[in-house]
Amino acid sequence: MTVQAPPGQAARTAAFPGAPPARRRRRGRAVREGATAYLLIAPNLVLFGLFLLLPLVMTFVLALQESSGIGPGRWIGLGNYRQMASDDVFWRSLVNTAVFVAVTVPASLAIGLGLALLLNRPIRGRAVFRSVFYLPYVISGVVIGLTADWMFNENIGVVNKILRLFGGDGVAWQSSPLPAFASLVAVIVWSHVGFCMVIYLAGLQGVPRERYEAASVDGATGWQLTRHVTLPALRPTTFFLVVMMVITTFQVFDVIFVLTGGGPGNATQMLVTYAYAAGSAPASRATPRRSGS
Amino acid sequence: MFWAGDAELKAFQSLAADFEQAEGVKVRLQQVPFAQLLTNVDAGLQSGQAPDVFRVTYTDLGVYSSRDALLDLSGSVPGDYASGFSPALYAAVSRDGRPYGVPHHTDTSMVLVNTEAASAAGLGALPQTYDEAWTWDEFAAALDKLKAAAKPRTYATGLNLQLAGAYRWLNFVGQAGGRLLDESLRAPAIDSPAGLEPLRFTQGLYSGGYVPRSTSAKGEYVGDLFTAGTLATVLAGDFLLADIDKGASFDVSATFLPVKEQATAELGGNALVATAASGRKEQAAKFLQFAASEEQMAKFCGATNVLPTRTSIDAADLDYAVRPDLMALYLEQSRAITPEIVQQVTVPEFNEVNAALVERLEQAFNGGRDAKEVLAGLSADIEQVLAS
Repeated sequence: MTVQAPPGQAARTAAFPGAPPARRRRRGRAVREGATAYLLIAPNLVLFGLFLLLPLVMTFVLALQESSGIGPGRWIGLGNYRQMASDDVFWRSLVNTAVFVAVTVPASLAIGLGLALLLNRPIRGRAVFRSVFYLPYVISGVVIGLTADWMFNENIGVVNKILRLFGGDGVAWQSSPLPAFASLVAVIVWSHVGFCMVIYLAGLQGVPRERYEAASVDGATGWQLTRHVTLPALRPTTFFLVVMMVITTFQVFDVIFVLTGGGPGNATQMLVTYAYAAGSAPASRATPRRSGS
Repeated sequence: MFWAGDAELKAFQSLAADFEQAEGVKVRLQQVPFAQLLTNVDAGLQSGQAPDVFRVTYTDLGVYSSRDALLDLSGSVPGDYASGFSPALYAAVSRDGRPYGVPHHTDTSMVLVNTEAASAAGLGALPQTYDEAWTWDEFAAALDKLKAAAKPRTYATGLNLQLAGAYRWLNFVGQAGGRLLDESLRAPAIDSPAGLEPLRFTQGLYSGGYVPRSTSAKGEYVGDLFTAGTLATVLAGDFLLADIDKGASFDVSATFLPVKEQATAELGGNALVATAASGRKEQAAKFLQFAASEEQMAKFCGATNVLPTRTSIDAADLDYAVRPDLMALYLEQSRAITPEIVQQVTVPEFNEVNAALVERLEQAFNGGRDAKEVLAGLSADIEQVLAS
């Protein structure tokens, strides 16, 4: 009969040179396994360090300098941040971004959920509909922006042509702030609902059938089943989608850049487009220093 | 490194092939979109991998020459080299008397007219010599007629002052006898009666429904709208003629920019420059001179519908691929590019001044701001830019 030492004790005794050979072997194996693990994650660590950590640090260093993009910069401490804080376009971009996220994310989730509930039923052509709704999510943002530009052009665009067919006068999608913002929200919601739908469809597969059966036996109607069984069961899915959509919506750049360019005025200027104009545009396309408006 | 449309790409390829044959130096061309070129150049300058030669607008050149990023050609070109070029355009590539590039070509704007829309409005014969050019009042009267005869959702004209083209608004300032910068070029001069008048005039074109609001300083470009028949007239550069000629389903004619106190036209076109950090300075300098030689310039301008900068080339004799009749008028219009305009738009800080113009014109045209308030803001912006 052998008595096994407690794990903590084994680790302690293995540290001594006079430890028995079996313990030394175990220690050697642990070291080898550790080395293998580090070797396996090394490529990721290198990529993370090179392409994320290093640029982050360099960006922060650059943020403390005044730089034209040509030649060395000049240290100005927090000068760039002070300039940004005094720039009304920055604050406008911040508010725009917050409103954009606050409108776009719930709308994408609600429509995505509605589509998922519809397409979770055994209807004809279900697979085709699912593909059609998901397609915009995989299309390049630039292509979406160009297509939307063609649709929402207030002079020759398709949307206004259709509105005029019904006797309307068309909407100033490009020259009025609110319609421009609305066109952007519509395009982003359209491109995001497919993703929300697919994730909700996956979530719906995980709702136990027994809950629906039990609720039906208790006399629950269709809406009550949705309200009291489906939606609570989808809470983790919704949480995941809210996190994902908030991150994705904050990052939208290409569609805005192509569709509105931040205009009219700064009505659709978001933090990312502002950051591009202020920091990444070439020296000769610099954002003007503003002396107030 | 260059940006190019289809015709320009072929012209650059031909230029490179001719240079290779003449000098035995291999040329590697790199075509990038206009919006990306300067980003790439800046990144290259930072990392020590800038192109040997790149194409640049006259208004962007100053930012590079003032930061010693460009090759000084003083030692490479003959002493009388400047005398071969239009003085205003050679001045545009020079700084403190030293050339930092070659003026490759120029272009400027005119009023292009949809002939059918003009006849429907009863405009009559368009001015075909500069002496007969419309005054502002006559221009406004013509726009009134065009507006009255316009079909639903079409407009009398379009102004080509979007984004990097915002500086073309200075044509109106110059015509009214005003200036953006004072004669020292170190202080704004725009907040004046001669600045207010053109701003109110152009602002009135937007608010009066003569031009689409969607084409404000940050809005959409006007060339496509003219081609689509949405605009009866448009202010457009000669480099757009090929696209307009190809896309428009109506006959297009042209007349001069309107005049008031005087005639002015904007400095359009591009220079070729070499980078100071180039490892092939001698070949780069040779390439620039080759591209700006009489033979090559004539060939390039003819193929791409732009105007030469060499005084010895008569643009009327060039074999223009598209609308040579209109190019003769553009040549006449380009004579209104004054040294004063060139000096103001080629100060090293002009890129930032132009960016301020975009913001302030947008406020005037699409933000409902009072013209006086806009000019005061623009003036303050310029002061800040020039002081830094």
